[in-house]
Amino acid sequence: MPAYLISRLFMAAWVIFGVTSLVFFLIHWVPGDPVEVMLGESASAVDREALRHALGLDRPLLEQWLSFLSGVVTLDLNVSLYHRQPVIDLLNARYMATLELALIAFVIAVAIAIPMGIIAAARQGTAWDHTAMGFSLLGVSIPNFWLGPLLVLVFSLGLGWFPVSGREGAASVVLPAITLGASLAAILSRMVRSSLLEVLGEDFIRSARARGLSNRQVLIRHALRNAWLPVLTLLGMQVGALLGGAVITETIFNWPGLGSLLIESIQRRDYPVVQGCVLLISLSYVLINLLTDLLYARVDPRIRLEHS
Amino acid sequence: MVVRCCVLLCVLLLAACSAPDSDSIRFGLASAPTNLDPRFATDATSERINRLLYARLVDFDAQARPVAALANWQVLSPRHYRFRLGENRRTFHSGRRLTAQDVAATYRSVLDVQAASPHRGTLEMIERIEVIDDDTLDFYLNRADALFPGYLSIGILPADGVEAGQGFQRIPVGSGPFRFVRWSGSGSLELERTRDGQSFVFEQVHDPTMRVLKLLRGEIDLLQNDLPPELLQYLREQEAIRVQTAPGSNFAYIGFQLEDEATGKWQVRRAIALAIDREAIIRYVFNGAARPAAALLPPEHWAGNAQLEMIRPDPEQTRSLLAQAGYDTQHPLRISYKTSSDPFRVRIATIVQQQLAQVGIEVQVQSYDWGTFYGDIKAGRFQMFSLAWVGVKSPDIFRYAFHSRSLPPAGANRGRFRDAQVDQLIEQAMAAAEPQQQAALYAALQARLLEQLPYVPLWFEDQYFAVRDDIDGYALAMDGNYDALLATVRR
Repeated sequence: MPAYLISRLFMAAWVIFGVTSLVFFLIHWVPGDPVEVMLGESASAVDREALRHALGLDRPLLEQWLSFLSGVVTLDLNVSLYHRQPVIDLLNARYMATLELALIAFVIAVAIAIPMGIIAAARQGTAWDHTAMGFSLLGVSIPNFWLGPLLVLVFSLGLGWFPVSGREGAASVVLPAITLGASLAAILSRMVRSSLLEVLGEDFIRSARARGLSNRQVLIRHALRNAWLPVLTLLGMQVGALLGGAVITETIFNWPGLGSLLIESIQRRDYPVVQGCVLLISLSYVLINLLTDLLYARVDPRIRLEHS
Repeated sequence: MVVRCCVLLCVLLLAACSAPDSDSIRFGLASAPTNLDPRFATDATSERINRLLYARLVDFDAQARPVAALANWQVLSPRHYRFRLGENRRTFHSGRRLTAQDVAATYRSVLDVQAASPHRGTLEMIERIEVIDDDTLDFYLNRADALFPGYLSIGILPADGVEAGQGFQRIPVGSGPFRFVRWSGSGSLELERTRDGQSFVFEQVHDPTMRVLKLLRGEIDLLQNDLPPELLQYLREQEAIRVQTAPGSNFAYIGFQLEDEATGKWQVRRAIALAIDREAIIRYVFNGAARPAAALLPPEHWAGNAQLEMIRPDPEQTRSLLAQAGYDTQHPLRISYKTSSDPFRVRIATIVQQQLAQVGIEVQVQSYDWGTFYGDIKAGRFQMFSLAWVGVKSPDIFRYAFHSRSLPPAGANRGRFRDAQVDQLIEQAMAAAEPQQQAALYAALQARLLEQLPYVPLWFEDQYFAVRDDIDGYALAMDGNYDALLATVRR
């Protein structure tokens, strides 16, 4: 297991290095100059050069890249060109909001999807199955930017249960979390259903039934345990996607998260913040996938044996 | 186990959420302020909020004439101005008295190259600042500029904080009518009116539909501008909401690249101007909430020109001008039109595209994210583009946008417009000592610009606000500032 962990950590470090470096060069390549954004058009050439020098933007790109990498190691991600605040402070405030939204969306999705998938598989072909999969189809098909305002119209304006948007009070997270979690719940419930159906057709399930075990015992003790592996993989990937892909939901619900900060910073060519956001998102993605792989290896010992 | 851990985490995170304060008056903004240090703020929201937090030497009246705010001034010579501080707004929120040293420290710091203030370029004519006593200071200029007092509208900071490098951008200390309370990580900014302790919360709600829904549900009390016309119309129909509009001064225009083979021809620019039916766009797209423009400054501005004749659509003359420029149905004029990716701006661009198509001009609309679009415009990579000048008060804008010495990066003459008569009129107006003489020269300048058409003037969009019916006292300013919050109360 330690050898497996070390090799996965090594791979994770390479992925983070690759992604952040790629983004570093891409954002510098995209047209638009942060000095122009900061100083406006009335600034003289002297002012522009002075600011470019102060920000270190007059150094060769390779040198800037090395400086960025050393900053990553020492956790000094420079200062936002636009907000003139340390990037780490901006990320800290926004990341907690995104984490909160993603985790609650995840819990909602799991709480809906797993029972729905199990019921659909256990009662395949019945009205229960069709209803569950109908909801699942809706969840996959409805885009966030439509579901969000729809939920607001019904639950905020109509029933008055939740605030329209913002991050104030516990109730404010409910609608954005449902919006963000809806598509995950849909995908997950279909995955649970198909994975369970596959396992339910295996020989060992027939053996279990032959031994006189009840349907419930077969489902919980034998089928679910074995159907869990592909679901776990999907969960790992989707949690990463929730963290990095909540931009639309954050924008609709005015949720002050990392996604909206990233979009604003790209528009303003705020290089340090863009780099910081991408670093944090890729770090989260990689860590969650690493955690999933480790759980996977724990659930299925063949994986770490194959690796070793 | 994993799910249990997540549930526990969720409970902890939910407990960390704060509940809104119901006594505050809440103002919904399309974009949050980014910098509360007036030396560095450039976006409209930051500047409007900084007006509440800081006092400034000079302000503007309804005709955009510079008027005394913190100080009166005397012109001792065309290059020497003396400012005397009055008694109004002389106490910082920290309790210390504001003196001439604070004014000098603020402006010296703006002029410091290392500080990289975006306002340095506007103030570069200041040669030195001398403090005479606690209430008096002199500005010496390296060249005469009759518009100079109008440039001194930056909020005054305490000198000790300036010298210590205090982070005013997040924790501002001014002497304005509002005091800073907090700026949360979620973007809500809370200010307190010093007169009566009334709290005001500025909350960014980027999505216009959500901003309207929050107003309807009472999560915000007030919003101003930045709504699509159909949402404004919807709000007008709501019983619990009061909507008020007033003429605005934000000038929308179409700009041309004068070095381009096609748009460099006067006949082409004039043909495009005559093909656009602005009245129809104002009537059907803006629901009437705009007025057509003939020049960059509105007619009520002290340097505006109310006599200019509006350009009216004329398809026949358009076709004749195109023929003179060498274009016909066999060889149609093809032009690229750049705009931002803002959906409303794209909508306007497609309408203009359709109107130009009716007279045989083929327009390709290209919309980009703001950074790329603005970068292209400044670099001159366009044939035709649409933009707006927001919050313009000083007629110095003409030097900045049209003088042949203001080609980027020296200024904002993005279309590379060069006209000897325009240059001469700008220089004469800047050198004129009497305001009446200046106004006459600027009026002539605007007539010349309308004739030459480096821009096609489009319209001035109206200002509007919508409030819940228990809010009183708010009113619109022509430049969209939030000064009326001084008189705003909840019934």
